[in-house]
Amino acid sequence: MGLADFFTDVVSSLGFTEAQAEAPAADVETSTPQDEPAEKTEEASEEAESESESAEETPAEESSEEAPEEEEAAEEEEEEEEEEEEEEPEDIKPKLEEDCANSAQCAPYKHHFDECVERVTRQEEDEDFKGPKEDCVEEFFHLTHCATACAAPKLWRELK
Amino acid sequence: MLARSLLRVPNRAIARQSLGKSTRASSTAAGAESASSPFYLTLTASLATAAAAGSAAWYYHVYGQEAFAMTPAEEGLHPTSYPWVHQRFNKTFDHAALRRGFQVYREVCASCHSLTRVPWRSFVGVMHTVDEMKAMAEENEYDTEPNDQGEIEKRPGKLSDYMPSPYKNDEAARAANGGALPPDLSLIVKGRHGGCDYIFSLLTGYPDEPPAGASVAEGMNFNPYFPGTGIAMGRVLFDGVVEYEDGTPATTSQMAKDVVEFLNWSAEPEMDDRKKMGVKAIALLSGLFAISVWVKRYKWAPIKSRKIVYSPPIGPRR
Repeated sequence: MGLADFFTDVVSSLGFTEAQAEAPAADVETSTPQDEPAEKTEEASEEAESESESAEETPAEESSEEAPEEEEAAEEEEEEEEEEEEEEPEDIKPKLEEDCANSAQCAPYKHHFDECVERVTRQEEDEDFKGPKEDCVEEFFHLTHCATACAAPKLWRELK
Repeated sequence: MLARSLLRVPNRAIARQSLGKSTRASSTAAGAESASSPFYLTLTASLATAAAAGSAAWYYHVYGQEAFAMTPAEEGLHPTSYPWVHQRFNKTFDHAALRRGFQVYREVCASCHSLTRVPWRSFVGVMHTVDEMKAMAEENEYDTEPNDQGEIEKRPGKLSDYMPSPYKNDEAARAANGGALPPDLSLIVKGRHGGCDYIFSLLTGYPDEPPAGASVAEGMNFNPYFPGTGIAMGRVLFDGVVEYEDGTPATTSQMAKDVVEFLNWSAEPEMDDRKKMGVKAIALLSGLFAISVWVKRYKWAPIKSRKIVYSPPIGPRR
């Protein structure tokens, strides 16, 4: 027995958990009806869930076909509402950043930016104004930097 | 010898003292004269000090402050640093996020941006299975080798092929995008200052309207993070543009986060292995260091523990 064998024995006796990219065999059985290749564990389990959901839904729909039309219509409406909710996920980032911009942390930047916007719009509207052309990009940068820096950890807590 | 010479000193020193008295007297006399220093010496010292301070100030006035010709708008807004999980030294890529990010790339970015340095095979085992990637590769056509007649035909893609580009060449890409070349995204995370933060900020940072007074050229969009603030790429990520297969709500920031993580993978596909090797190296080298310390102690033990004793010969007492 060589030295390498000794080390492999030691390592195998430690019982490291083996990371598997493919789904374990037990889960494959549930997903075999579709003859799909074994995928990652999460996906396989999610698919299994979705299949079970669809399996639950189909008998219900069949029974609803037999049932009076009102119930069916009601169910369809519910489903439509759910779909609409799923189709319109709202991004939380703009809201977080706006809250941050209005917070006390960014108050000075917000104050400068608002003042600049007011001044520049007044200058643009005033046709007689001969002074140098001004923009609020710098003030905008300071405000945005403050707001995004404040919102960054909050945003990451929400995202997957 | 030394003691003897010291003992001899007094005799000679006395002789020297008698000789040196006259010289010392003359030097003390000179010191008394200089105590009332002449006016020109004070003036010279003061002028020299003033000239030194003045020239230093003048130099600082002329060369001291760096001249910045760039305006903040031309520099672009520095991206905010986001707490990316995959950038920590002990974390890997989130491969579910990579899969979502690739979906975003395929459905949104790939219409303009190429990913030429990434072959189909590199996705296998990272975010897709072999069969999935084969199917995706076969959707694209590639040139064959010339046949017997010297004609080049088309064949479906294989795993060994590289990702197809949306345009034939850079000129075609420029022509289709109003003169602006969409950069290749294979190494974009490495190729831009700020990396992941920059790209995430760029994708999500399009304001509803540019700030007051900012000039935006025609065909350009205002983005504070792009140097010069005028970017030819418009905002492409809107809520719900992509429908994720794992049911994650496809908000703008979620899609941007996923696609940035995917682009980081395409730039550094070896990252997970690299971190693993780093831990291996730390484990191995620390083990070797520990062994070397023990061996050193072992080897030095007889030297460190020996005792040097001088026992003088015992002679008759005087």
